[in-house]
Amino acid sequence: MTGGDVVLQTTNATNATGAGVSRPPSAPLADSIAGMLGLDGVVGAVVGGLIGAFLIANVMLTTTAIAGPWAKRKITASFTDRIAVNRVGPFGLLIIVADSVRLLSKELIVPDGVDRPAWDLAPIVITFSALIGFAVIPFGSGLQLADPETGVVFVFAAASIASVGVVMAGYASNNKYSLLGGLRAIASNIAYEIPLIVTAASVVIFAGTLQMSEIVAVQRQPLVTVAGVTIPQWFAIVNPFAFALFTLANLAEIGRNPFDLPEAPTEIVAGFQTEYSSVYFVLLYLGEFIHIFLGGAIAATLFLGGPAGPVLPGFVWFYVKMWAFFLFTQWARSAVPRLRIDQFLDAGWKGMLVLSFANLALTAILVGVIV
Amino acid sequence: MNEWIAVGALGVVAVGIPLGMMAASAMLRPTVPEQGKAATYESGEVPTGTARVQFNIQYYMIALLFVIFDVETVLIFPWTVIYRPALEEGVSLAAVLVPMFVFLGVLVVGLVYAWRNGAVEWVRSPRAQRQKTES
Repeated sequence: MTGGDVVLQTTNATNATGAGVSRPPSAPLADSIAGMLGLDGVVGAVVGGLIGAFLIANVMLTTTAIAGPWAKRKITASFTDRIAVNRVGPFGLLIIVADSVRLLSKELIVPDGVDRPAWDLAPIVITFSALIGFAVIPFGSGLQLADPETGVVFVFAAASIASVGVVMAGYASNNKYSLLGGLRAIASNIAYEIPLIVTAASVVIFAGTLQMSEIVAVQRQPLVTVAGVTIPQWFAIVNPFAFALFTLANLAEIGRNPFDLPEAPTEIVAGFQTEYSSVYFVLLYLGEFIHIFLGGAIAATLFLGGPAGPVLPGFVWFYVKMWAFFLFTQWARSAVPRLRIDQFLDAGWKGMLVLSFANLALTAILVGVIV
Repeated sequence: MNEWIAVGALGVVAVGIPLGMMAASAMLRPTVPEQGKAATYESGEVPTGTARVQFNIQYYMIALLFVIFDVETVLIFPWTVIYRPALEEGVSLAAVLVPMFVFLGVLVVGLVYAWRNGAVEWVRSPRAQRQKTES
């Protein structure tokens, strides 16, 4: 038997099992919008895609608007026993509007000697990379813009483009702090990208597919039934070790404490964003927050059953899981000190990398034994 | 095919939103040119020279290792996809597991070699070693 045969047969087998799993009949969002408008072919795909994309992007912008100027302050304040914003509107919620207007109407100061096209493009690249990752995220309730067969690979590829934006910002700013921040961003990328993806690969071994909706469907199957309560086969329950590794590597990937070396406010001012003001600063900030939520969305999809959950509709559960991850990042921010750069690289290459490969090998053996 | 059109549509929106915000801000914000405002930030001091300097990035060897391991993760992915379906088809465990373990083993040997040669260590300059103040 040649290798080609195996691939061909197994592809069919995957499709067959995927159909057998109790999967609700939900077409990707772009297709269902096109169907609703009665369009088909390329026109339908483009129009449906644009409307769906606009919807998803606005959901994420609203989420970020709540998270950035309001929730982050409130959470940090709760951890440090303070009150934070409470003057404008109920619970200080209207600070979101006030802050957006304030930040957008600030003067844009272009420092001396910045590398102009790169300096202007960096905020766009960072926001773009965080937003485009959401194209393949299954929000549940039929809210998945597209469902390509290579979803997992695509979402990691999209999320890593942000590093390019950070390096562009760091180099173009003509500021020593920015330069250090950009170089630290590369360091965090080369140290934690591989553990992140190899740990995700251990999930792929379990699921046998790269398609996001299929990975969610596999996790819907029951694992054990304890006293009448069926525990689903979420990969965080099946393989908690991989989940812990993934969460740590994810923190480094999105540059949050204890791995927030690219920004490190107490060491290098604001890292790569030192020289940014006005709308450019808003865009960098926005991109970072969407990136946190993208990290949460990836973790929720791969390890926490995606939109699965009792009673409430799928979308609500997915949203709750994303916010739970955001809360976790803010918790880490309040509770864990930052690593030094050499400790950071050591932990990545001598700890996380070795552990993630051990996890991959063990998962492969485990799957081999149980199948 | 269809799904990549939708992904591309999100790409268009994801570039359009930043551009829209930049346009909105350009209409709102003032411009007050002033001497000294455009100096880069160096803790309040007058900036000394440019930031385009030659600079030891310390993790040069790690960056080289990264390229190898990154390509490796790409090569692992096809195997992870076919692994479980192949086992369910009845292919023996040794036939799907051993070749990949050999592949991983070669890389682990490489990593151990690099590790023992100090490629993963943080490079310290001799001067920093001499002037070390902490124990």
